[in-house]
Amino acid sequence: MKWEKLYAARLYAVRARPYLATALFALHPVESASVPTMAVDRHWRCYISPRFVERMPLPDLAGVWVHEVSHLLRDHHGRGDRYAARTGRDDAGERLRMNIAADCEINDDVYGEGLPWPADAVKPASLGLQNDLLMEDYLDRIRLGGHTQQWAWLDCGSGSDGLGRGWDLGPDGAHGLTAAERDAVRYRVAQGIHGAPGQVPARWKRWADEVFHPPQPWRDLLGAALRSAVSGAGAGDDYSYARPARRSSSLPGVVLPSLRRRPPRVSVVIDTSGSVSDAELGSALLEVAAIGRAVGGRSGAVSVISCDSAAHVAVPVCRAQGVPLVGGGGTDLREGFARSLRSTPRPDVIVALTDGQTPWPEAAPPCRAVVGLFRRPVVHRKTGYLAQRPPDWARVVTIG
Amino acid sequence: MPSCARNLDVAAELLALLGATGTEPRPDVQLEALTLAVSADLPVLLWGEPGIGKTSALNQLADALGLPLTTVIASVHEPSDFAGLPVVGDDPAVQGVPMAPPDWAVRLARTGKGLLFLDELSTAPPAVQAALLRVVLERRVGALRLPPGIRIVAAANPRASAADGWELSAPLANRFVHLQWAYDHDVVVRGLGGTWPRATLPQLDPAELPAAVDLARRAVCGLLSARPALVHKLPNTETRRGGPWPSPRSWEMTLRLLAFATAAGASRDALSLLVRGTVGDGPGLELLAAMDRLDLPDPEQLLADPASAVLPERGDLRQAVLDGVVEAVRKQPERSRWDAAWALLVRALDTGAPDLVVVPATTLARLRQDDWEVPAAIGRLGVAVTLSQRAEAGR
Repeated sequence: MKWEKLYAARLYAVRARPYLATALFALHPVESASVPTMAVDRHWRCYISPRFVERMPLPDLAGVWVHEVSHLLRDHHGRGDRYAARTGRDDAGERLRMNIAADCEINDDVYGEGLPWPADAVKPASLGLQNDLLMEDYLDRIRLGGHTQQWAWLDCGSGSDGLGRGWDLGPDGAHGLTAAERDAVRYRVAQGIHGAPGQVPARWKRWADEVFHPPQPWRDLLGAALRSAVSGAGAGDDYSYARPARRSSSLPGVVLPSLRRRPPRVSVVIDTSGSVSDAELGSALLEVAAIGRAVGGRSGAVSVISCDSAAHVAVPVCRAQGVPLVGGGGTDLREGFARSLRSTPRPDVIVALTDGQTPWPEAAPPCRAVVGLFRRPVVHRKTGYLAQRPPDWARVVTIG
Repeated sequence: MPSCARNLDVAAELLALLGATGTEPRPDVQLEALTLAVSADLPVLLWGEPGIGKTSALNQLADALGLPLTTVIASVHEPSDFAGLPVVGDDPAVQGVPMAPPDWAVRLARTGKGLLFLDELSTAPPAVQAALLRVVLERRVGALRLPPGIRIVAAANPRASAADGWELSAPLANRFVHLQWAYDHDVVVRGLGGTWPRATLPQLDPAELPAAVDLARRAVCGLLSARPALVHKLPNTETRRGGPWPSPRSWEMTLRLLAFATAAGASRDALSLLVRGTVGDGPGLELLAAMDRLDLPDPEQLLADPASAVLPERGDLRQAVLDGVVEAVRKQPERSRWDAAWALLVRALDTGAPDLVVVPATTLARLRQDDWEVPAAIGRLGVAVTLSQRAEAGR
């Protein structure tokens, strides 16, 4: 094999993408006649066909180096396995789909900026799809068929889709990286990007931010905020010495606390000012009602107040069905807070679902507050109204 | 009726047949990490979906360590079962009200050693979690102090799968080594076929102990003096507060785990699970990266004896070493060191990929001072020069 050309290509790649140097050098090249082009496995070995090296111009070869290492950095084999486990479909065709989707995710970062676009590279546009999606999003949209026929030869190896190949040396073969070493390499690349973000494209920066701190789904965050609010002292299910336990009668001389169950009362204040879509509101409301029920709320323990510039009718919900959302127009959530605090019995937790374009109450309410904030541009398009940040006394969860 | 009794006998026979399974040795990183944490006397928290085999792993561990297992389901107990039951005596004003421990704690204390397994921790109400703090940290159940031979392991279901439950409170979460428990598909299939794995447990090497303590102290102190922000960082969301996060306490636990893992010669994967499960992913990975750097050969030693230098095989590590060597020469430029660095680069070229050498060689050439003669060895770096030119020209 023309090793010199291969290494010169890697050097070319390092010069074009200095922030990937650590990962490129960590790849161990293995000569293999059975590989069609270049392929990686999950242990960071790169299998290379000698004829491919001979045939390709050097800059294109450099592009392939970066392409293959991107598969590994973005953990396409692990994500492919998880996708297969989730959908329950796993065969050669499915894995080819994963390879195509993975290529869609990385190619616009790989090529350009000093590395030439190969004529046969997979582009989202040629599948009629938009750029900047993740492999999983592309997988949901790509079907194998006529327009993917041209990529049936595509084979980036088990590192890109998780399916073992005949040429793989396996976990016990020479020069493989263990799981801990792989994480260490990916971590060092991410640290390097954090350290010198100047020349790095935005998508690689985002990768570096999220690779070891994946963003958590808002449902989990909203649920956690709500649960911690209702399970705090004085609300919900907890032990208290206020009334002796049932066991006390059988243990004379012993004072036992008892489990007192008081379903937390949750009041939901909904912003119906027209700038929040019904679908978003519906999913958030459903979530709140489900949590309210799970923490022991009976019917009536979750009530909903729809609020624009004035607070409207308060409705108890038990199944989050048929809640009339009245209103539309400007918002003043202060009304909603006041209204829900006036209701008897007083709520333990107020959950406000809003886009944040509202004035907030001056002082903290005498109960816990959770704000579900729908993501919006900071300045309102029509009114030019500058959104005020939710106050510090509320636990804020960004939704969507 | 007799036919019924016979039927039961036959059923017992069938059950015995089903229960007769063999074992085979098989490396298991999770169990290795669990054993290390238990022998280091740190409380462990296993996170895993229900039915995934946490309890059977505990049984296996108890068998292997020869410890009796006591299981306590935290969620069905009251706080007084852990904080002690107040017993009013004859003259409470004079004698005080003693907090009596429950029977399982008394039995454990009498045995003197054993494995205490607190199951279903995340579904325990907040008041029970608060009462458990003292059990886990100070090993006190009411007025009774559990002897040092008792090891504590807890298990919890992740939020998404628990039918009903709470996030673990941040103080309790910080006292545990968190291990994510997952099953291995091959192990399950082979186990259902009749052969379960038997993990070979790590053994502490008495000769290694002082060196292990030294390494652990160097690694942790080195990282924390360079990164003061990592010493204490309370996560900002409730979901993360119920997991591992860095604090002086969890760093102390990490130090102990590092020493144990080194003395037992544990695999890097097991160490990675333990460290990331104690201080969290980010700080844990930083510590592991710092330890990787400690493992690399010292540039000064390489420069002192370039002829017998052993460079790491892995490309990225080798590049880091060569960069370190050039940096050392830059800091203290002397003719002999410069020559030694060239000899090292030639050695790197002979034993590995040539493209790694290009950048260090360029930097080293720039460090040349006027009266230094170009060493003869430099001729052998021609390969690297060609490589660099080809990469420049793109041909």
